[in-house]
Amino acid sequence: MKARRWLLGRLGGAIATILMVLLLNFVLFRLMPGSPDRALARNPRVSAAAMEAARVRWGLDKPIFPDQLIAYVGATLKGDFGYSVKYGGREVTSVIGEKIGPTLLIVGLGEIIALAAGIALGAWTGWRRGRFGDRVGTLGALILYSMPYFWLGMLLITLFATTLGWLPTSGISTPGGPGGIEGAIDLLRHAALPIATIALGLIGQYAILLRSSVAESLREGYVLTARAKGLRDERILRGHILPNALLPTVTLAALNAGYVIGGALTVEIVFSWPGLGLLTQEALQSRDYPILQGVFLLLSVSVVMANLLADLLYSRLDPRVRHGAAR
Amino acid sequence: MSASASVNLSTRIRKRVSGGNRIALLLLRRWDARIAIMIVSLLTLSGVAPETLVGPLQTATTATADALLPPSGTHLFGTDDLGRDLLNLTVHGARISLVVGALSAAITLVIGGGIGMIAGYRGGRVDALLMRVADTFLILPTFVLALILAPILRELIGDQTEIFGIRTTLLTIVAVIGFTSWSSTARIVRSQTLSLRERTFVERARLVGLSPMRIIARHIFPNIRTVLVANGIVVIAGSILTESTLSFIGLGDPFQPSWGTILGNAQSAAAPSLGAWWFIAAPGCAILITVVACTIIGNAIDELLDRDVRVQR
Repeated sequence: MKARRWLLGRLGGAIATILMVLLLNFVLFRLMPGSPDRALARNPRVSAAAMEAARVRWGLDKPIFPDQLIAYVGATLKGDFGYSVKYGGREVTSVIGEKIGPTLLIVGLGEIIALAAGIALGAWTGWRRGRFGDRVGTLGALILYSMPYFWLGMLLITLFATTLGWLPTSGISTPGGPGGIEGAIDLLRHAALPIATIALGLIGQYAILLRSSVAESLREGYVLTARAKGLRDERILRGHILPNALLPTVTLAALNAGYVIGGALTVEIVFSWPGLGLLTQEALQSRDYPILQGVFLLLSVSVVMANLLADLLYSRLDPRVRHGAAR
Repeated sequence: MSASASVNLSTRIRKRVSGGNRIALLLLRRWDARIAIMIVSLLTLSGVAPETLVGPLQTATTATADALLPPSGTHLFGTDDLGRDLLNLTVHGARISLVVGALSAAITLVIGGGIGMIAGYRGGRVDALLMRVADTFLILPTFVLALILAPILRELIGDQTEIFGIRTTLLTIVAVIGFTSWSSTARIVRSQTLSLRERTFVERARLVGLSPMRIIARHIFPNIRTVLVANGIVVIAGSILTESTLSFIGLGDPFQPSWGTILGNAQSAAAPSLGAWWFIAAPGCAILITVVACTIIGNAIDELLDRDVRVQR
């Protein structure tokens, strides 16, 4: 009973957040000088009838509140995000749609690598709290954490692509390159540095968080019990400390999703990686607001979903959460 | 009236004993914090007086050196693609980066502190609503929101003018960072306020009949000031990072370049693929050093405050 109410509360929260994003987007849309249909007006290939249809669909012939707001939310829920200014009036959804894959590839792989390495580094430094290895590891984590992603990317290009010549400097594939397996290898070679940048940028915060929760767990009674039982250090760390210490990291990984995506956007710019980040920069330069808002909406919804997932995962891992005992 | 005065007096004495000054003294005893404070002071100095250190800001017309010279005796940090001295640019960039960072942090603290104190003190529905909004901002990709907001705000404000010597393009960045990054401050301040609200001196102030606003201003705020300072230093670090990213993407001001703007120039000049590492190194290291130093100071204050709480209990 309590568990179900907890779940409903979480769902309600997620929906409320998405509604707030919609409201924010709506306000921004109307704040801008000019009417939302100007993307269409600029394009000579759009007929007067098509423009009129769009105006009616977006409710531009009616008052702003509440008619236009309702029309906007309705249209957005149906997947109508408006039309791009730069891409000759193409639908925002189709422009954004083809950029999701490349972004997902580098962000996904980067995040997985960062989590694995960050957990390892955090566990190691937390276990050796106060010793030399911990000092060095923690300072390293802090430095990685403080680097802007784009700067890290520029450094990696200078070192590994330009100076050493091991990997390509930018792009997603060699123009006119081979297909099939060799093409996949080519793609991976291009993706290696962007992925490394995102992973390195993220390792720091996971390591710092895990270190402090491992160090905290070390003071717990069950660790003393495990020691008294004569368990080996590795068993204590793996079987007793990590399962507990990992919980906050799960939350952080989800909470951070928005931040990570923001950083990933700049990584794409550095590597000319044709994903949402490069699209965002182009849209920014040509003041293509419908695209920008589409990107914001898409990323917000994904982040909210990621958080909902983390909540569910958390409640599986720690039953106290869904039964309202842990507060 | 006299009762409220005596309440004030008692909290003031309490503050003397366990206040911010003692934390500052303890801070100076830690070697890592000492180095960090020294670095921040040096950076602040170069931000305050860049002209006396490296002369006026070089522009495309006043630059004298050749383009993309590696570091040498005459140009310690090398030159950029227009022949400007990178030492000159980086020292001048300190002013812009620090001022924009500090102003953004100030706005963040005012919004976050205000919302946190009101939510924590009022409780109930106000608290629930405000924290709902704060959580939303905590989760959302606020950086993307900032990307959209900055140009919109600029179109709304219109022509390029200066206010107190800061160009409006930079002020829009300040406003946007402040608006998008207050939520974690609000959370921290709220939880502090929640526990302060139950303390006897606040209860006494309430019994005496002080208005909620006055209690927040005279009794809650002085007690969260140190927490706010610790958070503020970390927020400055975050603001500098956000500012550099926004400027890197091209939202900075070419006439008042920050570290991020210089790195943006390096990117458009294809410095990484030309192997011009010095173009990237100087401004990037400046950002890194500043953020690391601020984080170390903030963490040190946090640790000292933690210990303080434990000792008091």
